[in-house]
Amino acid sequence: MSGAEGGPAVAVPALRLAHVSKTFVGTRALVDVDLTVAPGEIHALVGGNGSGKSTLIKILAGVYQADPGGTIEVAGHASSDGRLAGSRVEAAADHWSPNKAFAAGMRFVHQNPGVFDTLTVAENIAIGHGFPTAAGRIKWGDLRRRTQELIDRFAIRATPDAPLIALNPADRTMVAVARALQDVGTGLDSGVLVLDEPTSALPAADIEVLLTALRRCAAAGQTILYVSHRIDEVLALADRVTVLRDGHRIATRPAKELTETALVELIAGRSVATDSRGTAVADGSDVVLELHGVHAGRLHGVDLTVRKGEVVGIAGLLGSGRSTLLRTVFGAVPIRSGSIVLNGHMARFSRPGQAIAAGVSYVPEDRGREAVFAGQSVRENISAGGVMAYWRRLRLQHGHERRDAVAAMRSFLVRAASDKAPLATLSGGNQQKVVLARWLRRQPRVILLDEPTQGVDVGARQEIYDLIQRSADAGAAVVVASNDFEELVRVCGRVVVLRDGRIVGEQVAPNLDSHRLTELAYRSENAA
Amino acid sequence: MSTESPPRSGDHVPAQPAPPDPTLPPSENEQSFVVAPRSASRSGGAFAMRIVEQYALAVLFVAVVVFFSVLPKTSAIYIQPDNWRNILASQTVLAIIALGSIVPLVCGQFDLSVGSVAGLTSVLTAMAYSKLHLPVIVGVLIGIAIGAVVGLINGLVVTIFGVNALITTLGSASVVIGVESWITGGSSIVQGIPTSLTDFGTGTWFGVPRLVFLLALVAAAVWYLLGHTPFGRYLQALGTNAEAAQLVGIRIPSLVRRSFLVSGSFAGLAGVVLLAHSGSGSPGVGNAFTLTALAAAFLGATSIQPGRFNVVGTLLAIYFLAAAITGLTFLGVLSFINDLFTGAALVFAVAISALLRRRKATA
Repeated sequence: MSGAEGGPAVAVPALRLAHVSKTFVGTRALVDVDLTVAPGEIHALVGGNGSGKSTLIKILAGVYQADPGGTIEVAGHASSDGRLAGSRVEAAADHWSPNKAFAAGMRFVHQNPGVFDTLTVAENIAIGHGFPTAAGRIKWGDLRRRTQELIDRFAIRATPDAPLIALNPADRTMVAVARALQDVGTGLDSGVLVLDEPTSALPAADIEVLLTALRRCAAAGQTILYVSHRIDEVLALADRVTVLRDGHRIATRPAKELTETALVELIAGRSVATDSRGTAVADGSDVVLELHGVHAGRLHGVDLTVRKGEVVGIAGLLGSGRSTLLRTVFGAVPIRSGSIVLNGHMARFSRPGQAIAAGVSYVPEDRGREAVFAGQSVRENISAGGVMAYWRRLRLQHGHERRDAVAAMRSFLVRAASDKAPLATLSGGNQQKVVLARWLRRQPRVILLDEPTQGVDVGARQEIYDLIQRSADAGAAVVVASNDFEELVRVCGRVVVLRDGRIVGEQVAPNLDSHRLTELAYRSENAA
Repeated sequence: MSTESPPRSGDHVPAQPAPPDPTLPPSENEQSFVVAPRSASRSGGAFAMRIVEQYALAVLFVAVVVFFSVLPKTSAIYIQPDNWRNILASQTVLAIIALGSIVPLVCGQFDLSVGSVAGLTSVLTAMAYSKLHLPVIVGVLIGIAIGAVVGLINGLVVTIFGVNALITTLGSASVVIGVESWITGGSSIVQGIPTSLTDFGTGTWFGVPRLVFLLALVAAAVWYLLGHTPFGRYLQALGTNAEAAQLVGIRIPSLVRRSFLVSGSFAGLAGVVLLAHSGSGSPGVGNAFTLTALAAAFLGATSIQPGRFNVVGTLLAIYFLAAAITGLTFLGVLSFINDLFTGAALVFAVAISALLRRRKATA
């Protein structure tokens, strides 16, 4: 790794990782990664899908154990009353744990900040630290005083007694930050704050508020490791940026020396020749699905046309609106304005049942929560929602249902002990094939797939691609949303790029290029 | 402990290519593609475990019956056919209430009003007979209709206002009890109950209480509803995963409303049976059925089809409780045993079914 080490040379880094690797069965998620964060620095960690940045954060938090051979070193921190609480901690990366991370002064605030909307600011602060009590009774005066100190220190626009729900989103995130940092000292003794995609759930107007607050923390000496996929934000905030790609540290550069183009280049890397199997569908083919200026949820005016037999990819990052787009077509997200046309007819679906009746199928991203009935049998999972087909002469035709389920299992390559096996006993890949069987066997006209291979092993992945292609060949219009752009290149005939709820680019096979898709998906508005 | 807990893999982290999850069954390729004719478990041990689980309650039932039948102190009365006729007939009301209550339970909703509704309909039907001299069948239909109306109101409150079903039905149970004592002024109605109704409630056919034949019909109806109609299958789906149920096109509010309509209707029918069996409409007797009915439903969910509310398990649970409590009463244990035993059975059963459900979902 020959990334130029920019920034100030520091004798005692706040955080240093050396030779950290992580191997999952079959894949190397991180390979020999070094990372040095100076005290008081805002250090951004960026990387695309599969770059290893989530793995790295989990190793820092002690959730994953790194492979033997690496080291993690954290400078000590003082406790809030000024005494030295933790002196320098240096440990083998494979023996790092949540307790060690905490003792070393590492504090994490996640994308979902985990604050309690109905409790007051003071109560939210106390929940991280314990309520001050005297003889079992909460000393509200002390708590309020302590909270007011934190409010002042972090410049949160609130009073201790305000309920969290009354705060604006940026201040709510700052309450989480204050809660995380309340028991470490101030200035250079304040440990390391790790922020994981803190702005992905914030409205645009609040992002700048939060960034300003974070800059103020850093100016007071707080060390921050900042994980984000927003290029503009990273460049505006960070002192230095470390880029990960395919588990390797590609570069560490001072943000001042980077442009958006250069950073995207580092994230995307050279375009890898992916074998594109999708084929573009001729313009003459029938249009099945049309979206005209659709505003819904995060979507701000999306136009899209999908033809019969076509597989269209939606390339988008977290928060781009890719799931919202699919759910809007399926009638699960209300549409504010614009129109959806299905087979030449206006489609106004207010609930999924209407979309299903019109021949639309939807495979959600979160399989466990939104797609499968874990305690039910494979057979029941396949016919879920479609049992009306077996309701004849006032009786469910169980024999018919079983024959269909067995046939579907064969056709969709589901490997299970029997159609009566509980779904929870199947592997992730087979569960996903059961969900696909549920929908695709009905020969829908429109198939909406959200991250269709998430949590699926490599072998089953290829089978799922084949099943998608088979449905398209049979005449379905298929839309695949994913943040794995190489996957889209592999399965789609055309890919549109969604960013901040708008379509910002399009590519047609055979000229699909995951590198270019990454650039489009990452590039912020003002650079476009 | 810090609140800033380490990131969990389930959180919405931008998706990495998921590393193979060690908790998942490791290999897809080892499992044969052949669809086995029967759900073959991997090991004989697990299979045996399942059988034990399925029939534990049945074995317990037989053991209790054998125990009190051979115990010198009780056997003389316990084995009398009259004792059994009495147990069978007296449990019919409870059984119909319990079978009705499992319909909302299957989709994850409690109906705590079933007992009180049965009490209300028994009193109102008795009044209808004594004041209006209605034909028997009309009175029966009125009773069922009253139950249906209360059930529908429960369902509407739960689905339209989003009030928790426990609270809604706890409240409506109290309202129903209040209405009952308001209308009756606290006194029983004994005049004008048609004898054909009370004959049905107390007589026998071929030595078997006539009510047992009615119960068989009700059991068949609930069994059919849950296992052989789309309605039943949608209920199961909703009870397993509401989010997924919505996304396969199930209309959840309408389904929940109908489930309360069904439990209310069966409670209404049970009220008429209560009148037929006791010969009078007495205020204040209904509410006691609720807890026992729920105990039976949950106890039933631990057997026959473990982890699912089911008809045969529920009936088994009712007769198990009745056989045990009757035997203990003959032993001279005072009547407090009823409450003690039923309450303990309910908590025990809920704990076991929670365990079963969890295991089923993560098996």
